[in-house]
Amino acid sequence: MPRWRKALFGRQRFPDNHVDQTFLSDLRTNVCLRHYRYWPVVCESSVVVQQLSAVCGFGVLWRLMLGGALGAETLFAHSLAMALVVYLLHQLLGPRDRGPQGATTRWMDLKSTGIFVAFTYGFSPVLKTLTESISTDTIYAMSVFMLLGYIVCFDYGADTVMVSSCLSVNMGLFSAVCLASRLPSVFHAFTTVCVALQLFALWPVFLKKLKACYPGLHLVVTVTVFVLVTVSLLWVSLGFALSFSILVFTIVFVCPHLLLTLQRRKDNIHGPWDEAEIKDDLSQFLG
Amino acid sequence: MVSDFFYPNMGGVESHIYQLSQCLLERGHKVVVVTHAYGRRRGVRYLTRGLKVYHLPLRVMYNQSTATSLFHSLPLLRWVLVRERVGLVHAHSSFSSMAHDALFHAKALGLRSVFTDHSLFGFADVSSVLTNKLLAVSLCDTSHVVCVSHTSKENTVLRAALDPARVSVIPNAVDPTDFTPRAGGRPDPRTLTVVVVSRLVYRKGIDLLAGIIPELCQKYPNLHFLIGGEGPKRIVLEEVREKYQLHDRVRLLGALEHKDVRNVLVQGHIFLNTSLTEAFCMAIVEAASCGLQVVSTKVGGVPEVLPEDLIILCEPTVKFLCEGLESAIKRQQLGTLPSAEAIHNRVKSLYSWRNVAERTEKVYDRVTKEMVLPIDKRLKRLMTHCGPVAGCIFALIAVLDVLFLFFLRWLVPDDIIDIAVDATGVKGVWKQQESFSTIKKHGKTPRNNCKVQT
Repeated sequence: MPRWRKALFGRQRFPDNHVDQTFLSDLRTNVCLRHYRYWPVVCESSVVVQQLSAVCGFGVLWRLMLGGALGAETLFAHSLAMALVVYLLHQLLGPRDRGPQGATTRWMDLKSTGIFVAFTYGFSPVLKTLTESISTDTIYAMSVFMLLGYIVCFDYGADTVMVSSCLSVNMGLFSAVCLASRLPSVFHAFTTVCVALQLFALWPVFLKKLKACYPGLHLVVTVTVFVLVTVSLLWVSLGFALSFSILVFTIVFVCPHLLLTLQRRKDNIHGPWDEAEIKDDLSQFLG
Repeated sequence: MVSDFFYPNMGGVESHIYQLSQCLLERGHKVVVVTHAYGRRRGVRYLTRGLKVYHLPLRVMYNQSTATSLFHSLPLLRWVLVRERVGLVHAHSSFSSMAHDALFHAKALGLRSVFTDHSLFGFADVSSVLTNKLLAVSLCDTSHVVCVSHTSKENTVLRAALDPARVSVIPNAVDPTDFTPRAGGRPDPRTLTVVVVSRLVYRKGIDLLAGIIPELCQKYPNLHFLIGGEGPKRIVLEEVREKYQLHDRVRLLGALEHKDVRNVLVQGHIFLNTSLTEAFCMAIVEAASCGLQVVSTKVGGVPEVLPEDLIILCEPTVKFLCEGLESAIKRQQLGTLPSAEAIHNRVKSLYSWRNVAERTEKVYDRVTKEMVLPIDKRLKRLMTHCGPVAGCIFALIAVLDVLFLFFLRWLVPDDIIDIAVDATGVKGVWKQQESFSTIKKHGKTPRNNCKVQT
């Protein structure tokens, strides 16, 4: 008897519902599956912990300023000093820019900082009164949602739809502007926005560079920041400190375990029916 | 025949339903097509050979597919199925919500059901996951499933978790009278023309085409491209044409009517298909029927469609497609190809709608011998086959559907619904020359304002 062929043309001596031995022979499962190991995933989760710590740290600083336990001038001076130290470290980490080009870059950075500080200081009376008329509970709700948005949209290195560095930073700064209106003075508002910019825009840039150059040191910094934030949260509220610790523990230890468990059960189906991927770089034609 | 996709809309599914219906009418069956209203085209229409088409007033949601709540279509569909004394419901296309509705209601009415899947789906993205779950629900108690290619069968069996013996493979076909070669053979071989007829969308590989055009135009000064079709990727082709100054060698014809496709095809020597996924690909059969040498990407069901000597299959990359086109160009230049007429006759013998109808009839015969699942067994199958969550949800919907049907039967009993005059079938009164008044003479007239189209 003639063999069955996987062809639509020509008559075959088989019924139309014939199931041949070759049926689903082209089926492939879990092609290009990434295999994760537990501890590397735990280490990778540090980027999320860093952002959570930054958000909680910002919340603590704002709460301390609101209660009068921390002066705006003191915080501004400390944050400025810290920013300078981090900037110098950032310069040391990267490829050394010697000569005129490096000097130009540093001069540009200094100019940008000067302009930003001047403008923020000039507009701080506006920022202070901008959301003053909105009720406090609405301000808190908006700030919480914006900070959650900051955490969700932050670029952790994953290629997903919701990632948007620009949106993330804007959400962080918007929450700072909202909270600034509840502080006692114009200088408090100015300090809040400056600190928010450092924590939400500049600090992640430094951490990214640190992680690329010294992953071990990045982990040390993450743990240090986490401990500092947890201790400072204890100062504000025991409940918050516990919640934060549990959340971080879940993200660092439970979630990676969950990922690995689910990964073992993964069953992606591939075959000739899949839409082909265009692997060519067509930018030269479509430029 | 039930689907959202039917004339005046144009496409593979539409043409399949029409041609299959015509051949089934020829074989003495009574066939009724149910689709949604297209603009002012509502109510009942008659097409060639008295093919009766119901255009139901259902709201279109997206891409010619109707919005569905499952229940809102039951009164209308029940009315049609009872009026026409339908014994078997044949639904077409996974994209058609009316098709899924009809299958669901047919089972509640105790009718046999067949489903034809015309497309391929992935498994990973969210839309595919949801569509596949819906398909599993629709097909778990459908009597039989038809696919248009073996690859499509494998895909459907996996998507809907079906027994492969319940799935038949019956391909599409081509109407040989619509796609005949150019009188006097192929055009002048000194200027070679590559024809592309497709919707200009991503999944048809238009980005690949944009990479091929400048590469080959640079290499072959006598090569021209003739591109028919419309879509969002047209701008990409226009950019390429502009960038490489190929206005005299790349013609974009825009949207084509079905009747004009043949006239475009016969202007070329080579037909290029760059699809990234395809269940069957009617276009390559039509092109081969016009005597063109076919070059295509090796995706989906395409390798099953034409014999190796009529098609050059390539991996979906610019490099391999260029190589494939170059070998086709060499064949043209050397004159080693069979004549256009010979290729046409060969394709005509490989694919015919009469053969498709004959094979579909065998499926119908098989289905009529099977028992329709009673409601208790149907619910059990839904719950065991479709997963603990979806199974229970759809079992509940099936119960509600049956209860709604009981209510409709109480409100308007089946025997009150007037039986339509059979335009076609054993007792069909349709005559090609006669007008609608003849139908009036033979009995009750349909309540809708019917218009005749022959």
